[in-house]
Amino acid sequence: MGRRREARERDLERELRSDLELEAAEQQENGLSAEQARYAAQRAFGNTTLVEEEVREMWGFGRVEILMQDFRYALRTLRKSPGFAATAVVTLALGMGASTAVFTVVDSVVLRPLTYRDSGSLVVAWERVRFLGTDTVGPNLRHADLWRKRATTFSAMAVLRQGASGLTIGTENPRLVGTVTCAPNLLDVIQVTPILGRGFLPEDGVKGHDNVAILTYSLWISLFRGDPAVIGKTVRLADTPREVIGVLPANFHFPNGNALRAFHSGQAASSVPEPAVFLPAAIRMSDFSWNADYGNWVVLARLKPGAGIRQAEAQLNAIQAQVVQAMPADDRDDRPGALLATVEPMQEAVIGDSKTGLWLLMAAVMGLMLIACLNLANAQLGRNLSRHREAAVRIALGAAKWRLVWSVLAENLLLAAVGGTAGVVLAAAGVSLFRRYSPLDLPRLSEVHLNGTVLLFSLALTLGSSILFGVLPALRLLRIPPLASLQQGSSRTLGSRQTRRLRAALIGLQVFGCTVLLLVTGLFAKSLLYLLHQDKGFETGRGAIAEVRLAGKSYGDAGSRIAFDDAVLRNLREISGVQWVGMVSAMPLEGESTIEYLRRVDRPDQQPPLINLRWVSPGYFEAMRERLVAGRFFEERDRNLSSVVLSEGEASALWQNENPIGGQIETEGRKFTVIGVVADSRTTSLKAPPARMAYLHYKDRPPYTTFFIVRGLPPADALVAGMRQTIWKYAPDITIARVKAMDSQLHDSLAPERFQTTVLISFGVSGLLLAMLGIYGVLSYSTITRRQEIGVRMALGATRRKIYALTLGEAAAPVFGGLAAGLLASVLAGATLRKLLYGVRTVDPWVTPIVAALFLAAAGAAASLPARRAASVDPMQALRSE
Amino acid sequence: MPKDSSSRIGLLQGTLDMLILRTLRFGPAHGHQIAKHIRQTTEDVLQVEHGSLYPALHRLERQGWIAARWETAQDGKREFKYYRLTPAGRRQLTAEESRWKQLTGAIARILWPAEES
Repeated sequence: MGRRREARERDLERELRSDLELEAAEQQENGLSAEQARYAAQRAFGNTTLVEEEVREMWGFGRVEILMQDFRYALRTLRKSPGFAATAVVTLALGMGASTAVFTVVDSVVLRPLTYRDSGSLVVAWERVRFLGTDTVGPNLRHADLWRKRATTFSAMAVLRQGASGLTIGTENPRLVGTVTCAPNLLDVIQVTPILGRGFLPEDGVKGHDNVAILTYSLWISLFRGDPAVIGKTVRLADTPREVIGVLPANFHFPNGNALRAFHSGQAASSVPEPAVFLPAAIRMSDFSWNADYGNWVVLARLKPGAGIRQAEAQLNAIQAQVVQAMPADDRDDRPGALLATVEPMQEAVIGDSKTGLWLLMAAVMGLMLIACLNLANAQLGRNLSRHREAAVRIALGAAKWRLVWSVLAENLLLAAVGGTAGVVLAAAGVSLFRRYSPLDLPRLSEVHLNGTVLLFSLALTLGSSILFGVLPALRLLRIPPLASLQQGSSRTLGSRQTRRLRAALIGLQVFGCTVLLLVTGLFAKSLLYLLHQDKGFETGRGAIAEVRLAGKSYGDAGSRIAFDDAVLRNLREISGVQWVGMVSAMPLEGESTIEYLRRVDRPDQQPPLINLRWVSPGYFEAMRERLVAGRFFEERDRNLSSVVLSEGEASALWQNENPIGGQIETEGRKFTVIGVVADSRTTSLKAPPARMAYLHYKDRPPYTTFFIVRGLPPADALVAGMRQTIWKYAPDITIARVKAMDSQLHDSLAPERFQTTVLISFGVSGLLLAMLGIYGVLSYSTITRRQEIGVRMALGATRRKIYALTLGEAAAPVFGGLAAGLLASVLAGATLRKLLYGVRTVDPWVTPIVAALFLAAAGAAASLPARRAASVDPMQALRSE
Repeated sequence: MPKDSSSRIGLLQGTLDMLILRTLRFGPAHGHQIAKHIRQTTEDVLQVEHGSLYPALHRLERQGWIAARWETAQDGKREFKYYRLTPAGRRQLTAEESRWKQLTGAIARILWPAEES
């Protein structure tokens, strides 16, 4: 190849020379002297080198050769400035790594379609029930049944409900697994076939024949080590034996109970096991009423080919009108719009609210990347100033302009390629760590992985960033007037006005990006502080909580559950150092549940508000450190089970200024007497105002899922261990879903906020440092280039203070401009993120000034060093060094 | 007489190849001769720049439509690189000529419709 090319080059040169000679000979015949003829021929011929280059390009190796040559040149120049090269590569690797990692999560969770066959036609249908408020809820089963029978826009429809249950295969302590109880046709709706055994048949959904189970691949591996003989074996779920009839494929993931919630209120549970067991639902319609039992089931359906979501929704709403007519008259709400249906793509239902948070992270990381790129652009601009002479010479010698640009770009591409590759490696490591230890309960977390799209993204990012920080400096080279540049001394031209303006603009952009990043960070930090330090109305320190599931035949009747509760409460009190022991029917900080009407018996006309019912034991309020406002709490001596304790907000809503103690309320069709009022507390969620609560005695209806709470002197870890030991000592076959310190329950409930804030703070600090570096770099460079000017000014009588002001003033315009623009933009950003923020305003009276002051201090610090250097210039020396 | 520059016409894109091939129909020629032939035949209306002639020659050579060989000129003094038409080049020329005829015919029909009838 090389030899052939050389031969061809020689050949071409010879060909052109012979032509030129002939031309000269002809001119000479016309009467010109030999020398004149040669010039005339050369003029007629034009630029020989250009012709040669064009022919060379035509043969195809020209361009590639030039590219390689420039890459080699770039490598050599970079080797000469290892400091810059290392900084650039590390900056790019970190930036690219962070962006790629975040994008991987965004892509896998938000962008990638669900991994089911033709997943675009999978939809989820909800009901909107007037008396339950504006949120959508999982449909009532009778309504869903009518939809299934009458709607023609769906090819299939299935109901399901998610839960968790203790599972054993022998005598070991039960482990908690996620369950999906579903209509037998669910797997047909999502079109997945078991890899072992069979799917559900219609007869599996008949009471008495429903003791079968299908396992997910991962449970099959971990429980049976992938034994193909698992079919026909028995697993015990909540004390009920079930026969394993199938195993699902490895790539099948079903959204967990938080991702596909039938009831959206308060916040998601902090730990929800992945669905691992599928069970057939044996539903007897007669067990369900017509206008209650909302929010338990999810309806999953597949649209017929060609049917649209709007069309399906319109049809369901038409059926809803028939549903209202089918309701018994005393239960019917036939005001228009009292019962509606909505249909949304399954993907949207699964992703839900996590979208906003993820896009926020994406925006933040891209902002950081932008700041980093601007920094590199500035550094390159500085480096290129010393290249001006080189560029001028090359232009004067007739270099093609694109080659000039390309030679600068080659260097950036090289840096970006190295940085980008390192970034992808970093991202891969980061993503696998994130998947294992994610503090976030993200839907589809198990599906997160690097793939082709992500690699394309990082490739685009690599190219984009190299262009961003490379093209501007490169284009500057094109505007160099060769003559002026060659005539002037090397150091004088450096700080040309245009370049200085460009660098100021870069600084301004950087300050802008950094201000927005810092302000958003500030808002999130303050929001988190607010959530942590607001008046909760209860205390978590020195407390621990255990979730126990009583199920199966042994706990079928209330008496056996009361006996269990009493025994465990008694045994827990024996743990040394324990001061208070109590139990409650719902996990604190996991949202509202058991929502019912409640009204005063003597005011039947009062519009009944919805409240949360909780069944608690004596000692619960003390263990939670809740404050008594009036009357008394439950006590051990209580035998009368028709007493109720109301929350303060509920009591004052019902009785206003009157004394509620001794008053009668009615809920679930039963009457209770108010014995006490407890202060409002945020036990359902830290992110919502205190919910209205009514507490009943646990013996009134002992819950199946029970939460025992202890508070005492020992550290929470010891309490946790003690609780587990005590409960399993009393009943080894009971499912303990989880035992944790109250503090960790509090922290887990704020995990998304903590994660976001931590990430944002690290981004914000990095951004601030980068911006400081940028300001420092620009000013120190300009100080060096303006040395003589400063010398002249001082010689003419400028004071050191004036010089100080001159240098600082150079940074002031872009810094203040960027800051102002950043403040404006952050108002918009804050408004977009309002849903994720608590207790802060978008222009927060604390956050905004603090961030602005922090930024100005940082910018001042970055600018003061070069300014001091400028002010300490010795005029004599500066002028003499001309 | 050389015409002044205002009556010169720039070559249409892609026609240079055809003109070179056509010139070589008369027999082998080197680059200078080809340029001169085109210039003289068109009475200086078409000027072929060296900057486009040589890349075009090499392009045609790469396509296999012309072949080149170094030969001594008739005066016996200098050596030139002579190009000549290959059989493939001959076919290409025929194809391009007929396409050109179609094109100019079509353009003529639009520009001077009366003469058509």
